Amino acid sequence: MVTIKRSQRDAVFRAIADPTRREILALLRAGRRTVGEIAANFSTSRPAISKHLRLLRSAGLVVTDQHGTARICELNAKPLRAINNWLREYEAFWNENLRSLKKYVEENR
Amino acid sequence: MNPTDASDTIVKEIAIKASAERIFEALTDPEQRLQWWGAEGQYRGTQMESDLRPGGKWMTRGIGRGGKHFTVRGEYRAIERPRLLVFTWLPDWDENALETLVRFDLDEKDGVTLLRLTHSGLASESARDHHRGWPQVLSWLQAYVEEKR
Repeated sequence: MVTIKRSQRDAVFRAIADPTRREILALLRAGRRTVGEIAANFSTSRPAISKHLRLLRSAGLVVTDQHGTARICELNAKPLRAINNWLREYEAFWNENLRSLKKYVEENR
Repeated sequence: MNPTDASDTIVKEIAIKASAERIFEALTDPEQRLQWWGAEGQYRGTQMESDLRPGGKWMTRGIGRGGKHFTVRGEYRAIERPRLLVFTWLPDWDENALETLVRFDLDEKDGVTLLRLTHSGLASESARDHHRGWPQVLSWLQAYVEEKR
């Protein structure tokens, strides 16, 4: 039925399920930020923010680059395509089923 | 990509030359449902159980590509025969799946019924408690992807 690249999609879903992580992504949408700049936007502790960033990195949504003592974070939205593709497969699934229903009902009134 | 593509809801419409009652029957009668549910050469339904009342359970088993068995189950949420059918949807082929919602609206006019399918909550899978922010997140992040190409 609906086939999916489960592990990749699950990682993205998990990464984005948390409101703080979504806010981090929103921040990064405006441009690259250091870990310190990101943390400054939240009342949560810096280690907590680092933990969120690690999860976002492992999902491939954030890439980091070391510049001297500062670590720069950048958004990489590409993994979201996995979710988009998955939704498309559900679309195909319903297209097929509705066509099939139409055929069945019109032929067997 | 337009903004609706980024939502976590799928909406499909199809016009069927039959009464709403006839279609409602094909949707809910287990024997009839198995006649049409599936896609040739890909998967087909083999068994369906259905307790057609609000709160009643339904279950469909089938065989997919490579002979793999699957089950989808759920619960009826709203039944207004023959114009509305709402049920939850929980597939077993996705271990982290949470219930999503499937809705059929049937609008009959002059012997033709416009069927509208709405499958919602798809992105809430692992984000059940925070699911409100989802469509927005998807839309702006996808916009970002488009810009970057």
